[in-house]
Amino acid sequence: MKVLGYAWLILLLVPLQVVLVDRISLFGIRPDLPLVAVCLIGLYHGEIDALLAGIAIGFAQDLFSGGVHWGNLCLKPMLGLIAGLASRNVLNLTGGFAFGLILSLSVLSGTVMYLLKAFMGPGESFFLAARGIILPQACYDALVSLALLKLLQRWWASPTPQTALSYE
Amino acid sequence: MISLQSIAGGKRAVLLLLLFLVVALLLLPESRQESLMVIGRPMATVIAVPLRGMEAANQTIDSLVNRYLALQHMREDNLALRQHIARLQQENARLRETAQATTRLRDLLELQERLPYPTVAAQVIGLDSTNWYRSIVINKGRKNGLAADMGVVTTAGAVGRIVKAYDRFAIVLLLNDLNNAITGLVQRTRDEGIVEGTEKGLARIKYLPLLSTVKVGDQVVTSGLAGGFPRGLPIGNITKIERREAELFLSAEIALDADFAKIEEVLVITAPREGAQLPANPFTFQPAVPVTPAGETR
Repeated sequence: MKVLGYAWLILLLVPLQVVLVDRISLFGIRPDLPLVAVCLIGLYHGEIDALLAGIAIGFAQDLFSGGVHWGNLCLKPMLGLIAGLASRNVLNLTGGFAFGLILSLSVLSGTVMYLLKAFMGPGESFFLAARGIILPQACYDALVSLALLKLLQRWWASPTPQTALSYE
Repeated sequence: MISLQSIAGGKRAVLLLLLFLVVALLLLPESRQESLMVIGRPMATVIAVPLRGMEAANQTIDSLVNRYLALQHMREDNLALRQHIARLQQENARLRETAQATTRLRDLLELQERLPYPTVAAQVIGLDSTNWYRSIVINKGRKNGLAADMGVVTTAGAVGRIVKAYDRFAIVLLLNDLNNAITGLVQRTRDEGIVEGTEKGLARIKYLPLLSTVKVGDQVVTSGLAGGFPRGLPIGNITKIERREAELFLSAEIALDADFAKIEEVLVITAPREGAQLPANPFTFQPAVPVTPAGETR
């Protein structure tokens, strides 16, 4: 059942990112929904699920990107893993924690993507990339994740985040 | 039953007198009744004052009631008219969209007919899945004969090249992406260089000869030496020339002809080397008749 759910998520998430997310873009910056999804999976279902989902989602995302290397395939599972491990160390998953975590992970993801791009092709100024893509996208990702977290907490009957209490 | 017995003697007499007078008045011949008007007229004049007031009040009430009733109808009419306007506006917007799409598609079809190369028309269905690349997703792929490195054009000129082709869709890396590089040619001076995107989403032509007489406003076209583009497709115009000391080559900024934010349909050149020479000005189109928001043509 869980596998089916993940399969649906992967099938819907990337087309959503490619086709519809542009409608909510702010100053040309779109939230990275696959990143948000992987991190939330990590927070709610633990690092293993997030790692596997990250591989699948990252791979699907790379298929629809103009980049010729597989940056998302490598990055997304790592982000899911970090989110999953981070959730082990909190007793209660709060909006503030999720916001901070996803903001940090998005900044990390953006920086790694920048380095990967700079390493593989013509480099652009890190300052421009940070100001134009990394930081705005991180803020947007964190806001979207916060909104999704609140929706999940409200709509889902007692969702149980994978926090430190789950491992006792 | 009223009993006159209960009324006091004096009062009873007055009452009886009055009753008698009333009956007498009733029995009075019509000609004699005119004499009563002597009292009646002044009395009528006096009564007429409040009467007019009452009449005015009545008219006001009548007017208010009518206005209320009219407003009730007007509200319904207004609602119906608003719905009608909304329907017409929707229809108008749809028709304007159709008109614009028709113009775009007509231009694209004309371009397809003018280009002496086999092309495949495709629609843009999405953007890059990340914020890191400037690419678009088109709805045609390997099943339609597309492959990686094929050139993509619009009615404005070259816009990019295919970097990934799947069965039913393909990813086109746009010319303004930093990772894209195609060979270009300054049309007037015939100097060749490499056109690549910049960080700011513009383009630049690099490796122009140091002694080149290139100037601002020169048209840059595809050179056809490498990649999926034939020679002569417009790319853009030079806006700034960069001459740096101790560098062996010139570079220049290009304002791209195509509006990359508004690409909706494209042509993919599937075989750039086949076919005859590019005709003169295949990318010039008659300007479409603008449609005003009110739906009137100017």
